[in-house]
Amino acid sequence: MQAEIHDRPSFANIRVHLEPGEEIVAEADAMASMSSSIEMKTQWSGGFVNGILKRLFGGESMFVNRFSTPSGGDIVLTQAFPGDIQCLELNGNTMFLQPGAFIACESGVKLGLGWAGLRMFIAREGLFRLKVSGKGRIWFGAYGGIFQREIDSEYIVDTGHLVAYEPTIGIRVAMAGGLFSSFFSGEGLVTRVSGPGRIYMQSRSFDGLAAWTNSHLY
Amino acid sequence: MQSTYSGGVFSDTLADGRAGGEVELMPAGIAIRCPDGEFFVIPYRECQVEMGGYHGRMLFCRNPDRSLTIYSEDAQFRRDLSLAAAGMLDEQLAMGNRQRRSESRRSLFYAVAFVAATLVVVVAGYFAVRSGAKAAVLALPTSVDAKIGDAAMQSMTLEGPQVEDPVIVDAMQSIVDRLEPQAAVEGFQFKVHVVDSPMVNAFALPGGNIVVYTGLIRSATSAEQVAAVLAHEMAHVTLRHGLQRAGQSLGIWAGMSLLIGDVSGLMGAGVDLFQTASANQYSRQHENEADREGVRMLQAADIDPAAMTQLFAAINKEQGDLPEIFAWISTHPDDASRIAQVEALIQKLPPRDYRPIDVDWAAVQTQLSDLPANQPPGD
Repeated sequence: MQAEIHDRPSFANIRVHLEPGEEIVAEADAMASMSSSIEMKTQWSGGFVNGILKRLFGGESMFVNRFSTPSGGDIVLTQAFPGDIQCLELNGNTMFLQPGAFIACESGVKLGLGWAGLRMFIAREGLFRLKVSGKGRIWFGAYGGIFQREIDSEYIVDTGHLVAYEPTIGIRVAMAGGLFSSFFSGEGLVTRVSGPGRIYMQSRSFDGLAAWTNSHLY
Repeated sequence: MQSTYSGGVFSDTLADGRAGGEVELMPAGIAIRCPDGEFFVIPYRECQVEMGGYHGRMLFCRNPDRSLTIYSEDAQFRRDLSLAAAGMLDEQLAMGNRQRRSESRRSLFYAVAFVAATLVVVVAGYFAVRSGAKAAVLALPTSVDAKIGDAAMQSMTLEGPQVEDPVIVDAMQSIVDRLEPQAAVEGFQFKVHVVDSPMVNAFALPGGNIVVYTGLIRSATSAEQVAAVLAHEMAHVTLRHGLQRAGQSLGIWAGMSLLIGDVSGLMGAGVDLFQTASANQYSRQHENEADREGVRMLQAADIDPAAMTQLFAAINKEQGDLPEIFAWISTHPDDASRIAQVEALIQKLPPRDYRPIDVDWAAVQTQLSDLPANQPPGD
């Protein structure tokens, strides 16, 4: 399977060429266009219960679409909001994705939903997260650009900017500074991540956009 | 001892610097086998153990130059490692455990502090909004009351047709006119609307519109008793209870959305709330205030305030037979304790020469029974 990410970083989309017999799994509604030779099969995302849980808590849809072709063809996948898309190759390891970030994966990848815990809720990252594991490539999207960082000791990320992280990453929610600067610096709470491992961050946050839009409404 | 534990490895020799795999405890050391066949070993005596990971329960085994890290979150792996390394790593493992425990204690402390702080903010915010709403409403000009009350009056569905009979309407208006000079706040235009309905009820809208149902007038044996009800309702108007209620609900709504973080729907909700809340029931505290102020107005207008308790008692007595209709008692909460409170108030008043209200009550009652709704059909 050949896959390229085009129009980065603002309006990124994934152009996939499927050889006969290959298939790709994509989030419902991710398909923007495809060859007529490609067949689409819709199925519950990880089973009935898992699908409903993902819809309710994971910010993903209940269904995933499985695209395959007997004769070869192209397909373009995209996400709903402007921003970059990142490809990641799993080699038996696990990755956690923020709700709504998942776009597509190869068929060897397992999708699951995991409880992220109260601390991630406080960090405005959602109570649940998507757990991807297995072997194969996955594509996930973010709002704004995506940048990654290998963490070995400790690093600080503002809440709402974390998109994906490895399970080896420790995460603590903390105040940005002292009591005063936490409240008046506009930073409020931050997440302190500790390594070893890799994190992916988005250069914009939805909360930031919502707050900015709100301030211009009236 | 379990043979393999699911885990992973970080190494610069791997394609992306990482891979998942099955961790094994071999005689030579901690080993991991990756899906693509790569194999790594760290001898026990070179191993540096650290705890970490998302849940703080992940065990990292690193070689001295930290170029190779093998990890697993399996709880059994921690115990088995101590055995397999023949106690060589126990000190490091114990230190990791201590660190983990102190961290989990600390995060528990922060979680409790966070929940407690949220509670304090919510409770304090609630009371701040309640008292703030009252102050804010009292600062508004009275013309706002009239605008809202008139709009509510027009959009309201009443329980029956409005009565235009001059004998009845004039009688009501003359009672109001006698009470009006005693109103605590000037600038309200009081207007009585009589509605033909068996409900024993009356209510006031902000700004001075007062609705009285014929059922209430019928069960009053004297003009003074109706005057008592009207004084109570006028007190609601002058004390601006309707707006205060709306302000409180609006404020609580605003506080909630401030907490949740969305203020976009605030404007729309505000308009709705002003319409509905103003006509809704008043709180117990507002009722008591209106009773007190009503008694004061009656006394100041030389009308015997005892009429208020007389009406309460009369309605209470009848209530046994026809519970549902006697709404003035039920929407104006309470009973015995309220009557007792009003009676206590009256007792404390200085004696005064009360002047009867200049209304022919018998004529009003006759007109009431002549209303079209009371005529037998076909007559």
